Amino acid sequence: MSRPGSIRWLMAHELRLFWRRGKLSPKSGLIIVGLMLAGWLALSFFMFRGLAGVLPPPPFLDGPGDGLALTAIGVAIAFIGSVMTSGAILAAVDAIYTRNDLDLLLSSPIPPWRMLVVRSCAIAIGALPLYAGLLAPPLLWLAVFSSPLWLSGLVVLTSLAFAATGLALLVVTGLFRLIGPRRTRVLAQVISALAGAAVFLAFQLFNINTRGGDQVSQEEMMAVIGRLNFDPQVWWLLPSRAFTGDLASTLAWLVAVAILFPLGVYVFSRRFVADAAAASAMGQRKRVNDVRVAQVRGGLMQTILRKEMRLLIRDPLLLSQVGLQLIYFLPLVFVLFRPDRGLMLVEASFAPALTLLASALASSLVWITVSAEDAPDLISAAPVGPKAVDRAKLLAAVAPVLGLMALPVAILLWREPLAGAWTAAGVICSSFSAALIGLWRRVQGSRRDFVRRRAKGTLMAGLGQAFVALGITGAAGLGAFGWPWLAVIPAILAATVLGVLYKPTPGTTSAT
Amino acid sequence: MTTALRVRNLTKSYGGKRAVDGISFDVRAGELYALLGPNGAGKTTTLRMVAGLLSADAGEISVFDVDARKSPLEAKRLVAWLPDEPLLYDKLTAWEYLEFVAGLWGVPSANARSEAEHLLKLLGLWENRNDRCETFSRGMKQKAVLAGALLHDPKLMMLDEPLTGLDAAASRLVKDLIRERVVQGAGVILTTHILEVAERMADRIGIIKDGKLLIEGSLEELRTQAGAQGQSLEDVFLSLTTQPAAAP
Repeated sequence: MSRPGSIRWLMAHELRLFWRRGKLSPKSGLIIVGLMLAGWLALSFFMFRGLAGVLPPPPFLDGPGDGLALTAIGVAIAFIGSVMTSGAILAAVDAIYTRNDLDLLLSSPIPPWRMLVVRSCAIAIGALPLYAGLLAPPLLWLAVFSSPLWLSGLVVLTSLAFAATGLALLVVTGLFRLIGPRRTRVLAQVISALAGAAVFLAFQLFNINTRGGDQVSQEEMMAVIGRLNFDPQVWWLLPSRAFTGDLASTLAWLVAVAILFPLGVYVFSRRFVADAAAASAMGQRKRVNDVRVAQVRGGLMQTILRKEMRLLIRDPLLLSQVGLQLIYFLPLVFVLFRPDRGLMLVEASFAPALTLLASALASSLVWITVSAEDAPDLISAAPVGPKAVDRAKLLAAVAPVLGLMALPVAILLWREPLAGAWTAAGVICSSFSAALIGLWRRVQGSRRDFVRRRAKGTLMAGLGQAFVALGITGAAGLGAFGWPWLAVIPAILAATVLGVLYKPTPGTTSAT
Repeated sequence: MTTALRVRNLTKSYGGKRAVDGISFDVRAGELYALLGPNGAGKTTTLRMVAGLLSADAGEISVFDVDARKSPLEAKRLVAWLPDEPLLYDKLTAWEYLEFVAGLWGVPSANARSEAEHLLKLLGLWENRNDRCETFSRGMKQKAVLAGALLHDPKLMMLDEPLTGLDAAASRLVKDLIRERVVQGAGVILTTHILEVAERMADRIGIIKDGKLLIEGSLEELRTQAGAQGQSLEDVFLSLTTQPAAAP
């Protein structure tokens, strides 16, 4: 057993908290994870025993297709690394801005650097389980049936988590120095989302730029593949070479990580106490113009709408988190502005995309207005009917979405009325349906959960919103592309799911 | 009498605004010192600097003659900090929380176990020791944090609004516990907005406003200095901290 206060002891504490943050109880969670791992181990045995015979043994340094293999592995490493960095940025921000146990830890006679080393390691280790669980069984079987050099992949994967954490700590500390606590929090969220989506977006861009039209000939495909068969010795394939067991590359990679991670921890911890103090003092100087708060205006609907809008607008972090969903729609913009597309196709493509986006935004906003209500007791205790409150909250969730969509829909209506009409219908239906499901299937949460991407509704609400959104998106898309009769099918499916999910608003508690 | 806490010319600014402006005071061992002031006066900032949670811009802090700015870890061994918000690990049980705190302060295992049991029983949390803190009420959380603060037998306790959220019985219990520690020789510094608590419990009182110590002493001394003989602490406090409205 480790000595209390030691690094191992603190790490055990961090890992215990990490494990318990999950939804499952620790014991059943262990059993479920164990069973899943055992199942994947067994399945991958059959898959990779066969594959090991086909694959040439690593390292891939001079074979004809080695450059292509290394590029594929590099893309996977880049994807995993970017997602790990994204999570690590959020975790580092959380460490600075969330008071939680900071007071306790910093008031104890344990050197702050020790706690920060442990917390940084915990961030890195916390990023590992998913990828380790997915990749370790295949790599183990490849090591058994092909070459032990595949085990180097596990080393690279583990060190990748530490490299991502080191990078994230440097990014967060750098932002703090450059732009101050308030903006760091918002910008770190944006950078985190961009980091998480980087490979996806790069892929889409590559895909769009590579393909000349909808149909890609075999020759074109071969040419693209040929271009991807890079020289295996290029510097940026070093992580891939390390992953596949090239000793020199593995050593170079480990040296780089051994510099990056401690550097990140050092820079982060050196200023941590001051940064955490600055972050905790962040909300002290917020003032609102007296003139604007002097009057109480409007009825219930206006009151709730105003309150929700104020809360949303005054929380840039929350706003940025909602707005980040737009990132995943960037590829659509790439597609739409390609010059070689037909105009009709471009206009019609907007219908499903905007419909889906409206649904995503509305479901986020309804979660914020309904589930993350900061003072539910206050609302319940007020002499207003719950249905009136719900109507106002529904509108508060949908209005910003419709406002945001108004301009593109108006342009579409002007340029291509049919596509515009279907887009308008899709946007309205999908945003209202997503908001209604959120309202009917509400669960209590907090705004901070949303910011930390821990907002969790019920499984039924999540699946329901997804099904209904896809149904309406399908209908809007089919209609915009000129198949209105086919659009009826997904529309009916969406309406059916919506009907199944209906749950009346609970009545007012009767006063006695 | 031994000085438990000695603060000299302590200063802290946030973005140009002085939260604590050259404050100086002493807390003796075996004394309960109440630090009072209106909201935003700098009480919590002062205590957070003493607890080592904030770095001071200037000034001296010594805890039982240990320079807290030069040897923060040594000073922290002697200090307990009870924050205004009882922040716990929701996913740990009360027992696990105390076990963790004992580890942080390096309390020997056997002592920690018996002291944790004693404190949990005393504070009425023994039956809930294996419940996760996320199931606790505000008052229970406050008690759990207090148990954590007392676990390492601190020589100087800093309690920021320690009675918030406690019912009458628990409040009495906590007051008794604090008094007991004072009798045993610990220095206690507490902030509170309940002036009756300070009036009844404190040996000396300091009143701060805008980061400056306006006045300090026993209640009688405060009355004399404020020229408010026979008046309550509330009257003294309000006369010192309430600015007369500016003439139009």
